[in-house]
Amino acid sequence: MIRMRRVTKVYKGNVFALEDVTLDIEKGEFAFLVGPSGSGKTTFIKLLIKEEEPTQGQIYIADTNIGQMRKWKVPYLRRKMGTVFQDFKLLPHKTVFQNVGYAMEVTGKSRRLIDQQVPEVLKLVGLGHKLDSFPDELSGGEQQRVAIARAFINRPPILLADEPTGNVDPSLAEGIVRLLEKINSGGTTVIMATHDKQIVNAFRKRVIAMENGRIIRDQDRGVYGYE
Amino acid sequence: MNSVKYFTSETWASLRKNIILAVAAIAVVCVSLAILGLVVMGWDMFSNMIKNAERKVGEIDIYLTDLTMEEERQAIQDFIISIPEVDPNTVVYKTKGEALEEFKERFSDQPELWEYIQENPLPNSFELMTKDPKNVGVVVSKIDVESPYRERIEDIRSASSAIEKLENIFDKFRQIGIVAVVALAVVAILLVSVTIQVAIFARRREIGIMKLVGATNWFIRWPFLLEGVFEGLVGSLVAVLVALAVKVWILDRLVENLAFLRLSFSSGLLAVLIPCMLVGGIVIGALGSAYALGRFLEV
Repeated sequence: MIRMRRVTKVYKGNVFALEDVTLDIEKGEFAFLVGPSGSGKTTFIKLLIKEEEPTQGQIYIADTNIGQMRKWKVPYLRRKMGTVFQDFKLLPHKTVFQNVGYAMEVTGKSRRLIDQQVPEVLKLVGLGHKLDSFPDELSGGEQQRVAIARAFINRPPILLADEPTGNVDPSLAEGIVRLLEKINSGGTTVIMATHDKQIVNAFRKRVIAMENGRIIRDQDRGVYGYE
Repeated sequence: MNSVKYFTSETWASLRKNIILAVAAIAVVCVSLAILGLVVMGWDMFSNMIKNAERKVGEIDIYLTDLTMEEERQAIQDFIISIPEVDPNTVVYKTKGEALEEFKERFSDQPELWEYIQENPLPNSFELMTKDPKNVGVVVSKIDVESPYRERIEDIRSASSAIEKLENIFDKFRQIGIVAVVALAVVAILLVSVTIQVAIFARRREIGIMKLVGATNWFIRWPFLLEGVFEGLVGSLVAVLVALAVKVWILDRLVENLAFLRLSFSSGLLAVLIPCMLVGGIVIGALGSAYALGRFLEV
């Protein structure tokens, strides 16, 4: 599903955010991307959604080399990937329903389809009763569920989550990951960047550990580390 | 269809949030196009006046010096009649005595004008008409350059030289108008682009999220483009109203009350001018937002 070949990303000032990264993530996998902040996790995700371009190397998504992709096709690439961020990125003046419906609206879906599917997905993430709430009326955990619902509403084959539990109460963090696991069980490839050791150790998924922009460990059913 | 509704509601929301700047942009669009309208109408009015005047004026007067001998006068007259553009039946020789009599007759109710004249100051002259008033200039220059005994011709006068002066004045007027319109249009484009930049800035978060969920570039751009076009269109509509008001309340009355100037409007002027103004407004709005989108919206 995702193939990276010798990918290097150098930011201005000779900062190596990613160095010589090669890996494969198969369809339907659930992978944790772990490492301290500054290890390159966010750059990894930005490269996948083509928000940044690699300095060197190739990235293939569903066998398409996204480095050679025409600019106008990028939005269609992004529709294949739902993205969830630490800071939720919800629109404060729109309701929960509108925030999720927005992702469908933007891709030109009909009002009828939106009215039908948004409540379904919000029910899936456990917010079926909060359709008309505004983001600031919700807890951090609930806001992140809205963000996940938005990322998942168009049923993308890939779901990327960058520190999705970072701004969520630790007692609710597990619920967020359970939700991602549920989405993964439907066949969606899930990549979750995190430095939450407890979560990683509790779920026992594939762990890709990064440090200073390099992959230092990649193991199935792994743990966070040995520290 | 769904998307059209989405674009218009987004455009409308953004305009309302941004109302002061939007009004300023609309005002400048309006002023620039209103001036365009007035310049075009004024120009049309005066050029019609000049055309009407030219139709009448094929007359040329040639003044001779008092030193002119009879055979010289005859040679000049023969030359004039031989010019193909001159209507030979209209060529008249008027002596200075005849001219004075004519003058006295014309001002018979103001004898103080001629009573005390000791010596006749009026020259001997030819009067003639061209066959076509258009050729006045040609005839004047032929006489000026080719006439025998040119030194005996003191002056060649035609109404066309006065008209030329008028035309020059109106040309200046038109040039200044065009420069003003272009300058104002540029300001209008920049001002529209500022409002669009502010709108983009106000919605940068939303734009980021739109990109994230896979909105196409044009889906993101449309509401901003519409916003600029809307501002341009509203500005041009107001400008059309202003121009029409000025025409009805001022210019039409001028035409009526200064009938002797033979001012008039070309038929069908408004049918061309109004669509041009509306299109101008739309173009200004579109250019303004395109500029802002090109510079400030990286999609």
